[in-house]
Amino acid sequence: MGTITFNDVSKIYSGQREVRALEDVSLTINEGEFVALLGPSGCGKSTLLNVLAGFEKVSSGKLLFDGTPISKPGPDRGVVFQEAALFPWLTVWQNVIFGPQVQGIARADYESRARQLLDLVGLSSFADALPVQLSGGMRQRVGIARVLVMNPRALLMDEPFGALDAQTRLSMQQLLLDVWQKLNTTVLFVTHDIDEAILLSDRICVMSARPGRIIKTIPIELARPRSIASLTSPEFVAYKAEIMSDIRITDHH
Amino acid sequence: MSSPTERISSDTGDKRKAVSSWTGLSLVAGRGARRIALALILPLAVIVIWQFAGQGTGNLFGGVLPTPDRVWNAWQIWAFGPTGMGLNPYSGTWLANVLFSAERVGKGFLFAILVGVPVGIAIGWNRIAAGALDPTIQLLRPIPITAWLPFSIAVFGIKDVGAIFLISLGAFFPIVLNTAQGARDVERNLIRASLMMGAGRWTVLRRVVLPASLPSIFTGLRIGLGIGWTAVIVAEMVAVKSGLGYVLWDAYYVGRMDVVIADMVSIGLLGLLSDFVILQIERWVLNWRRLQSYQS
Ligand SMILES: Nc1ncnc2c1ncn2[C@@H]1O[C@H](COP(=O)(O)OP(=O)(O)OP(=O)(O)O)[C@@H](O)[C@H]1O
Ligand SMILES: [Mg+2]
Repeated sequence: MGTITFNDVSKIYSGQREVRALEDVSLTINEGEFVALLGPSGCGKSTLLNVLAGFEKVSSGKLLFDGTPISKPGPDRGVVFQEAALFPWLTVWQNVIFGPQVQGIARADYESRARQLLDLVGLSSFADALPVQLSGGMRQRVGIARVLVMNPRALLMDEPFGALDAQTRLSMQQLLLDVWQKLNTTVLFVTHDIDEAILLSDRICVMSARPGRIIKTIPIELARPRSIASLTSPEFVAYKAEIMSDIRITDHH
Repeated sequence: MSSPTERISSDTGDKRKAVSSWTGLSLVAGRGARRIALALILPLAVIVIWQFAGQGTGNLFGGVLPTPDRVWNAWQIWAFGPTGMGLNPYSGTWLANVLFSAERVGKGFLFAILVGVPVGIAIGWNRIAAGALDPTIQLLRPIPITAWLPFSIAVFGIKDVGAIFLISLGAFFPIVLNTAQGARDVERNLIRASLMMGAGRWTVLRRVVLPASLPSIFTGLRIGLGIGWTAVIVAEMVAVKSGLGYVLWDAYYVGRMDVVIADMVSIGLLGLLSDFVILQIERWVLNWRRLQSYQS
């Protein structure tokens, strides 16, 4: 469960000026796979994630999730936003249980799971805090917990750590590795940080801009379980060198 | 297990916290007192000058404007004098008239909220509702509340409903416009997040759009309530036979300028009080927002 299939998907934003944000993107993400989407700003990474989330409609092509065409957003595809997008008027706890609550699930069926997840992201003692009272990293951890509580078949993350400082970012990457190695959900992770992409993913898809398309796929065969200590291993550095030369080549075009 | 030294240190820590919260409290009180003192300088100066200018005759402008002490006396009789068939028809009727006006404002305002907030949310949230309702609202909005008076009297007669209609109408526009603005401005990712978590359309409206719009809604409420007070006075001067607006006009006709002034001050204070009440409710409801703002 959690297979994602893009079949010649294009997305054109119509407006005063038409933007071909995605062109003929074909991509299959297998169940339990962690795929990073890497590319320069404006190349269509968020667009790809947004059509998959159901926030935007594709212009042409087929987009399937476990064999079914995607028509609208839903709790089977949990989205983690860059700025967390927590409800500022709800406490951490209320934010985390928002999903199960609006789905009409009985309290007894989600309460202990929500507590466990809050514990897992290290925020048990902040259950009654409001989002404004949290740091950026803590807010992002709430954003992750509120998605995991719904037990989604896929996690879609759009530069979730992009706004964090280097140190917090490292600890969040470690947290995500730990969580994912436990749950093994399918993950599509958008980033423009090469280190982050290598560290986390099984496969990196490199995108180019205008029209947005996937120009290269690089499998990352670093051993699991990984940790942020992997960042300095020789294999890691080799991958990084490879990707950087790829990006330089595409820059010349 | 905490060692004794740890316990001692935590004790002093608590004490320090207690002390700082005390000084904090007195600081706040001091600041509050200073603010009130600052606010009172101007009105007190006006009263004193006014009093001295009219000293001797007890009047200004050739007998038209009574001095503050005479206004004060008139108000005391108006508020606390014996009611009945005395020479002074206003004696002892102040509270009753205040309550008449306040009740009309309350009813009209409540009605304006009950209609204005849902309509505003609909306009801000739904393109069809906006297309269907917004132009009409924009067309009616420039018509001042006074221009509605003949219409109101013709339709409702000299009755309470007429006054309540005018108050509702006056308060409706700022409420509906500000609510619509708030609903339009809801952050896109909050809506997306709620849809992603499985919320249906109604849930999104109730649990995301409404709370996210509350700051603008309260702006609309405060403006609307101010207009409500204007409307009640206008309506009572013409379209009903009780309340502060009625007394105002009546007292003017019989040349009781002391009552007129006392009435005006009463209106001002009531407006101030009702705004203060809304502000307190806003602070309580929007606690999350207060924490967000720079000025805490
Ligand atoms: N709602 C929209 N309407 C019109 N054009 C859009 C819209 N969203 C994105 N675009 C355009 O589509 C292109 C791809 O945008 P997208 O947000 O997917 O890029 P991105 O790779 O996520 O960039 P970044 O790394 O800066 O977030 C850009 O040229 C952008 O201007
Ligand atoms: Mg983006």
